[in-house]
Amino acid sequence: MNEVVDLELQLEGAGYVAEPALAAALLLMLDLGRPLLLEGDAGVGKTEIAKALATVRGARLIRLQCYEGLDVHAAMYEWNYQRQLLAIKLLEHDDRPAVVKEQDIFSERYLLKRPLLEAISCAEPPVLLIDEVDRADEAFEAYLLELLSDFQMSIPELGTMRAVSRPLVVITSNGTRELSDALRRRCLYQYIDYPAFAKELAIVEIKAPRAAGQFARQVVEFVQSVRRMELQKKPGIAETLDWTAALLRMGISVIDDDGAERILETLSALIKTREDRAGFTREVVARIAAAC
Amino acid sequence: MLIVAASPAVDPGAALQARLTGFAGFLRANGYGVGGADSIRVLETAVQTGILDQQILRWSLKALLCGRGDEWRRFDALFDAYFLPPNKKIFVESNVVAAGAREATAGVRDGGEIEPAAGAGHGVAGDADAGTARHGASREESLASTDFRELNQAEHARDIEALMRRFARRLKHLHLRREARFHHGRRLDLQGTIRQSVACGGTPLRLAWKERRRVRPRLLLLLDVSRSMSLYSFFYLRLARALCAELADVHCFIFHTRITGVAEALRDPDPWRSQERLHLLAAGWAGGTRIGECLRDFNRDHAARLVHSRTGVIIVSDGYDTGEPELLAQALATLRRRSRRMIWLNPLLNQPGFSPESRGMQAAMPHIDLLAPGADLAGIERVLPRIIEALR
Repeated sequence: MNEVVDLELQLEGAGYVAEPALAAALLLMLDLGRPLLLEGDAGVGKTEIAKALATVRGARLIRLQCYEGLDVHAAMYEWNYQRQLLAIKLLEHDDRPAVVKEQDIFSERYLLKRPLLEAISCAEPPVLLIDEVDRADEAFEAYLLELLSDFQMSIPELGTMRAVSRPLVVITSNGTRELSDALRRRCLYQYIDYPAFAKELAIVEIKAPRAAGQFARQVVEFVQSVRRMELQKKPGIAETLDWTAALLRMGISVIDDDGAERILETLSALIKTREDRAGFTREVVARIAAAC
Repeated sequence: MLIVAASPAVDPGAALQARLTGFAGFLRANGYGVGGADSIRVLETAVQTGILDQQILRWSLKALLCGRGDEWRRFDALFDAYFLPPNKKIFVESNVVAAGAREATAGVRDGGEIEPAAGAGHGVAGDADAGTARHGASREESLASTDFRELNQAEHARDIEALMRRFARRLKHLHLRREARFHHGRRLDLQGTIRQSVACGGTPLRLAWKERRRVRPRLLLLLDVSRSMSLYSFFYLRLARALCAELADVHCFIFHTRITGVAEALRDPDPWRSQERLHLLAAGWAGGTRIGECLRDFNRDHAARLVHSRTGVIIVSDGYDTGEPELLAQALATLRRRSRRMIWLNPLLNQPGFSPESRGMQAAMPHIDLLAPGADLAGIERVLPRIIEALR
């Protein structure tokens, strides 16, 4: 239990308020050397976990942002074609046998390392963040499996590259697409929900120290009430912090129904779709503010 | 503190080990996608984290054995039910029938790593488990050919869900011709490369690559949820949910007297909340079905954004329309012009003595590419190759 508490404190030192269950999962991830899959709505702080972990471990953070159509060349490696071409020109008057020259051209000197290759080539284990894996297509997900279970990858011209040190892999998913069971089985799993009141208050107090005391409590209570509404896009933690900053910028230091008009002006930091915004009239804001 | 039911004759170490490995089987019986190898991992984790601290063991096993949000939410109650002393236990409904259906899918998905559970602590023995899986498979066969109207018991819901998910996966894995060609890495655009090399005196210094094209057809589901369809629409919504989960480009609308987009509600990861949202969306509707008006509204409000030359439109309706048939014909013709194919599934089509003679169906017939029955899963599966062919 001490270890869990220690890690929680370390994470808090790095600016991340973690629940003990998450700290335990991170410890298990370090012990077993398995990737950690984080799922949950957008804006609940999944990506931040990797950043905080890197800070705590003093490790390098390597990030691969996934997108539709992401392929091996963008994620793993690419040959530096222009330099190779230049080298071929320069080698024209070289008397060495062709085989040797070819080996020279397909050596690591001409290899451009993309995030995944970079991660397994580091001498010290880095934190590898594979962000929003659900955006990449399935073929890429299948390609990841070899890397995640054996920490190696094959480059046809060079052979198999084995990990120098085992990276700590954090994978995040927003649930736009169902991930394969094969991927899930290789990972430890953690579902991150929107934070409860106490946790969110702690985050606001750490990240926005100017909003201390009663005001911070009101801000968090307001956001939590907004989250309970039927919205298309619920505000995440990042939105809470943005909104806090917006309120402070507008010189608002107390949330009450009298100030609903001014609060309304700052809501663009909290509410992100037109349909949701249409539901926030002066009366609605005043009602929520009065309850805070 | 964990409770170990050890009798004097049993070695406490072995009993503890059996108790721990049995937990994976217990979770499997409750529908978790846990494999045989996970029992070993449970032991390793227990050794690693220290078994005496219940809280750490709970968090670690939760991270190890859960794979999905719904499993995550149910875990604590199941952990308590299995490990806590009887007077502190929370009653959990352990769903062995559902596990059968899940396992049938699990076998397909991951090279059949699933093994029968080793004797679990709560009487979910390995044999019983395997038996359920076999039982589940035969049940699936019979479920597939049962009319949707007759499948209204709660216990069928999970089986249907699993079946539909498999069905959606098959739809996903059917490769389209053009897609298969583009599958092998990047392709060099020779013409482009030569054109770019002119500036460098003929040396191809910059390579041009062919762009990968998005070729998968978009699916648009228009579901009739009127009273005459009420017994079928429930299942079609489930199918739509399974399709939304498996395929990226699916758009779903329900209609009755108005038309409403439900993709958002269907994609809600929580099935209960999803159901509630759908219920809210459909609440307050009354009167008959006005297919023509609904389709006209769709054409006006959504078609420009959603329907293009690669869109397959699937309308599920019995065709009983209280509106003007001319309006229906006109709206269908407009939609047909925009889309690639128009498929109409009519659940009544296979009923003896039924012919599509209602005014709505008559008006619709000239604009439909394929009219197919859709009263049961087997029927849909039979017509699937033709749907795919139509969408290619």
